[in-house]
Amino acid sequence: MGKFVVIGERIHCISPVIREAMATRNPEPILKRAKEQLDAGATYLDLNIGPAERDGEELMKWGVQLLQENFDNVPLALDTANMKAIEAGISVYNRSKGKPIVNSADAGDRIGYIDLAAANEAIVIALCSKAGIPSDNDERMSYCQEMLERGMMNGMEAEDMWFDPLFLVIKGMQEKQVEMLEFIKMLSDMGFNSTGGLSNVSNGMPKHVRPIVDAAMIAMAMQAGLTSAILNPCDQRMMETIKSCDIIKNNYLYADSFLEM
Amino acid sequence: MAFKRNPQKFPGATKTVVIGTGDRAVTLGGENVMPLYSFDAPIENRPKVGVEISDSGYDKNVPGIAAYYAGAETIADIAKKAAAMPGADFIAISLEGADPNGENKSVDECVELCKAVGEAVDLPIVVLGCKNHDKDAKLFEKISDALQGKNILVMSASEENYKTVSASAGLAYSQKIGAESAVDINLAKQLNVLISQMGVAADNVVMNVGSAAAGYGFEYVASTMDRVKAAALAQNDNMLQNPIVTPVSDDAWSVKESIVSEADFPEWGPTEKRGVAMEITTAAACLASGSNAVILRHPESVAAIAKFIGELM
Repeated sequence: MGKFVVIGERIHCISPVIREAMATRNPEPILKRAKEQLDAGATYLDLNIGPAERDGEELMKWGVQLLQENFDNVPLALDTANMKAIEAGISVYNRSKGKPIVNSADAGDRIGYIDLAAANEAIVIALCSKAGIPSDNDERMSYCQEMLERGMMNGMEAEDMWFDPLFLVIKGMQEKQVEMLEFIKMLSDMGFNSTGGLSNVSNGMPKHVRPIVDAAMIAMAMQAGLTSAILNPCDQRMMETIKSCDIIKNNYLYADSFLEM
Repeated sequence: MAFKRNPQKFPGATKTVVIGTGDRAVTLGGENVMPLYSFDAPIENRPKVGVEISDSGYDKNVPGIAAYYAGAETIADIAKKAAAMPGADFIAISLEGADPNGENKSVDECVELCKAVGEAVDLPIVVLGCKNHDKDAKLFEKISDALQGKNILVMSASEENYKTVSASAGLAYSQKIGAESAVDINLAKQLNVLISQMGVAADNVVMNVGSAAAGYGFEYVASTMDRVKAAALAQNDNMLQNPIVTPVSDDAWSVKESIVSEADFPEWGPTEKRGVAMEITTAAACLASGSNAVILRHPESVAAIAKFIGELM
């Protein structure tokens, strides 16, 4: 098993600074956040330009080139509801450090993202949901199978489909957490890669509590077999937990300085 | 049904390190296959063979060595003969006489010896210390200074002296350095991390992950090297991708099998033959486990291992 893949989530148009930077094509705030995340240990960076209906194609190209030119072709997850923008981004994407990730497909309206990933030899994040939150793991698994079939029919390798079990907020869905972890285990037992938006679990909790809960969840999810997550790598507790779990799982060889790498 | 070749592919590869200069410069590492698996993908830089010479002259008690170096009076003469040995890719000068617990030769004296070797041969030069960490740090600093531009390799930086060796040989004089650990995979990695944190670029560092004569705990050496290669190739661990250089001769020629006389053990046969066999066996095992270069002493061992490598590539 390889090292856990951290996808840095902090270049997101929901942040006012980033939204402004994207609107005015101001590289500085974006490069600053990219550097912080890479220094903290992110492998992939998520580039979320939002719905970007108007100038999505041009914006995504600009963002991809900006990040890859400044950070040695850093691999990226292209994140938007505008499919044309994702294709435009991939058209200028350099694959030397890793395939692009299409973020994201589901088994419902967004199933076409799988076709898009297949046509562009990309990785796809495949949310195991259709409309709303799956009621149980049988439902999750049926969506997973649907999407897998779709990918296979389009000639994708299973390893390029990273299934997202759908991390759920604890405040409100506390009773669903263990089942979600069991689903990760099912994915892992079948040899699939997995990922997801981890910080969702601590949504709405007090600020000082969130990193603790996030770290506990990532440790339990890694034990269940999660291979990647979309998260904030600048959360030191989180990264220390991931690195420690990688050591315990024998994903990465121990050395005294492992936390510094 | 026809046989379908299914080569193992890895995300990682070992790094390349160049020692020496000009036509005779040697490139170590660069492979992205398991040791000697040239059938999985071409190994561009075949494993290399170094010939060990010593500040104390050649071993007159081993007839093959004595005959080969006969007539060589100075270290320069010895180095020239060593360089002319068929199969030699580089020269490794051992400074065992510098050990404070032994002859305690001065740093200046050792610098002169190394300069003489540097002037005598155009092969890359590896400097093997005296195994005293403090003295080695002093030796490597002065020798690296004196041999600037020769792109030598000093072996080795250890947990005890890596700061000094990195700062002097590695950074101030742009020589290559070896990172030495004693059959301890975690320390091997840690030392590479520490040296890289000193600012020495990875393509200036090789590893000596330790060795042992065949039959003397070699299984630990093999499993350590296996684990190094697995991490370097399969896990793409960039802190273990440096090429491995293994000094074999010292271990091989100090075990009982290579030393006791035929008079004491008539059933074992001639002493020299046993030593050569031990050196060849250990070196071949190191190469099969992942060494990118071995350092040997006896001309027959050098010839045999060079042939072994040649036939497998």
